Amino acid sequence: MRGTMQSRFLRPPGALPENEFLATCIRCGKCVQACPYGTIKTASLLDGVTVMGTPVIYARDRPCYLCMKCPPVCPSGALKRGLKEKEQVRMGTAVIAKKECLAWQETLCRSCFDDCPLIGEAIIMDNELRPVVDDKKCVGCGICENVCPVDPAAVAVRPGGKG
Amino acid sequence: MRLKRLRTAAQIGTICLVILVPLANKKGFTFITGTLYSLAVGPVWITDPLIGVQTVLTTARLDAVLLLSLLIPVFLAFALGRVFCGWMCPQNTISEWADRVAAKLGITRLFRPQPRALPRTIVLAAVLTATPLVGFPLASLLSAPGLISAQAGKYVVEGVVGLEAGLIGLIVVVEFFLVRRAWCNYLCPVGGFLGLFRLKGTLKVVFAEDAEHVCGKCRACVDACGLGLDPLGGNLYPLCHNCGDCVGVCEALKERGKPLSFRF
Repeated sequence: MRGTMQSRFLRPPGALPENEFLATCIRCGKCVQACPYGTIKTASLLDGVTVMGTPVIYARDRPCYLCMKCPPVCPSGALKRGLKEKEQVRMGTAVIAKKECLAWQETLCRSCFDDCPLIGEAIIMDNELRPVVDDKKCVGCGICENVCPVDPAAVAVRPGGKG
Repeated sequence: MRLKRLRTAAQIGTICLVILVPLANKKGFTFITGTLYSLAVGPVWITDPLIGVQTVLTTARLDAVLLLSLLIPVFLAFALGRVFCGWMCPQNTISEWADRVAAKLGITRLFRPQPRALPRTIVLAAVLTATPLVGFPLASLLSAPGLISAQAGKYVVEGVVGLEAGLIGLIVVVEFFLVRRAWCNYLCPVGGFLGLFRLKGTLKVVFAEDAEHVCGKCRACVDACGLGLDPLGGNLYPLCHNCGDCVGVCEALKERGKPLSFRF
């Protein structure tokens, strides 16, 4: 699950592109406190000096439910305060590992399709009932990664850094 | 000792704030949110001035919301001096209480320099110069009050604290054995920055003798100063953070005198 896609962290919704985010975020922890799900964690010194104190999301443990409570509380604008519509979030993009995915390996499973908050839009089922991600619609919330019954998850969010 | 009691209440209140805000937020009460980096009390946002200026330096942008949130602390510093440090900052509280323990144990520090403002000003200048070069908020990483409250928040959410919380332990150990009050007096960039907001009319401790106020040379004020400053010698600023302990002991003297007072 980590490896290739975790070279950068998944940030809360509305985050500026990573370099700008690191410069703008004051590490105050307000978004962490605003998150009613305990989804947003705080990176520590062990994650690196430059990211220490920044908000991170480990979607497999707990995804973002797109309640949109964190962007408006950001004092520095590291999260775009004006972001209100969950459809406009671009935290990242879900990527399905077809070799691991049950549905792609001919076992019936539609966990990710069923739980996607943009149901029928960000993840669609092709005509052989296999999930396919629409990169243009996927917001990167990680709910699919969280509910995937395969271990490690056959679908994971690649952090996108486009907010 | 009314001043002292008031101040202790403010200090304990701040520690409670730092712990209770994340706990209350977790329960869904979100009237107050944030940490000592940046706090929101209802619609009123308050950000540490150094943190605000650092962000302007790293982003080369002026964010109106951020700049507006600096107004209250800047105004407070102009009016009352560094009362954030003396009356609220949890690092000062920890250092002060540890210092009292050290005094009870009769600890003698390895180095005993005379407190001077210059080292802290150099640290502040270095932090502000390096911040735009490295491109990430150095001052945030070096704000002890911010770290303490953000780590309290992290503990409430995650049940663990980060390794960076070790800075606070390091400060306590250094101050216990090497240099008395090393962080506040010589290093802290947050206090260094707040010390820049001084006007003629800013609240200050004044030593003034006249016919009715004659100093009895008891030096109780010198012993009372938690920073090791000399209220009788003048030149208290910018190191003095208006905690008022010296004024308090002076006012408590029974005999005539009481030459120390707070004045604008």
